[in-house]
Amino acid sequence: MADANTKFLVVDDFSTMRRIVRNLLKELGYTNVEEAEDGVEGLSKLESGDFDFVVSDWNMPNMDGLAMLQKIREDSKLSKVPVLMVTAEAKKENIIAAAQAGANGYVVKPFTAATLDEKLSKIFEKLG
Amino acid sequence: MSIMQEEVATNLYFDRIFDTQAAKIGPGEYYYTDQDMLIVTVLGSCISACIRDPKAGIGGMNHFMLPQGATADLDSPISESMRYGNYAMEVLINQLMRNGAKRENLEAKIFGGGNVLRSFKTNVVGDRNAAFVKKYLQDEGIAITSEDLLDVFPRKVYYFPKTGKVMVKKIKQVNNYTLVKREEAYSSKLETNEVAGDIDLF
Repeated sequence: MADANTKFLVVDDFSTMRRIVRNLLKELGYTNVEEAEDGVEGLSKLESGDFDFVVSDWNMPNMDGLAMLQKIREDSKLSKVPVLMVTAEAKKENIIAAAQAGANGYVVKPFTAATLDEKLSKIFEKLG
Repeated sequence: MSIMQEEVATNLYFDRIFDTQAAKIGPGEYYYTDQDMLIVTVLGSCISACIRDPKAGIGGMNHFMLPQGATADLDSPISESMRYGNYAMEVLINQLMRNGAKRENLEAKIFGGGNVLRSFKTNVVGDRNAAFVKKYLQDEGIAITSEDLLDVFPRKVYYFPKTGKVMVKKIKQVNNYTLVKREEAYSSKLETNEVAGDIDLF
């Protein structure tokens, strides 16, 4: 596990899903978690807070996860923040689009704490 | 181990009684449309949520139950049940929103959760499914405009997403066990399949 103080931003338009992700993270020992309900709110929280990690849904109103990811990568201040996409879409073209936009990982719902842990570990490992 | 995924129903037919195109959905399936048509399903202890945006003129129906995991901690927000139920609801709602529905306009009618499966260890399968869908919709702020839940009878549900009209027929005389068998097969599939999706591209 990385630093327990790692600050997460969970972006999802479903409050039930935000609660699930928050609790999965808690299960893995991460308790420094904030939430946003779409890409617009996500970006504004990212710009004003020092987040270490973003876990984002894809399908959201206003600004979806992919658009938010692209904006993060374009922003010199945020471009290095790791982003894990969490989505109900298992389509190959979505996965490719996420990878091309600079996602650090991709998890398909409904996933387990073990899968999330594995994805996070992999990303932390690569970041060194 | 394969991945449990909600599938779009493929069983389309012309319904002579209602004189309209119809889609029949089974356990683990969903269907949505902006056409003037009918969506039909038969429910035992499973739940169907009929969700529509009356302004955008699009609606759909799902059909699912929560996994009966022996170790499932029902009150835990990260139990298998919660994660799968959440997923089954989200897949339908996402499709509606992607096709023009607005979250704030959504209204839901919910059916099923009859305790019809005698072979389940406890007789609360329907109760659990019903409680889940009500809490989910409340938490997500989606209005429940009609419901017919619980009891011990299977139901046939006819949903017209364009108008939001629903007709429910309680099946008091079950002539064969097709429905019970189908739900049991679905239930055991949920138990033997890992409730997890994972793609290992990167």
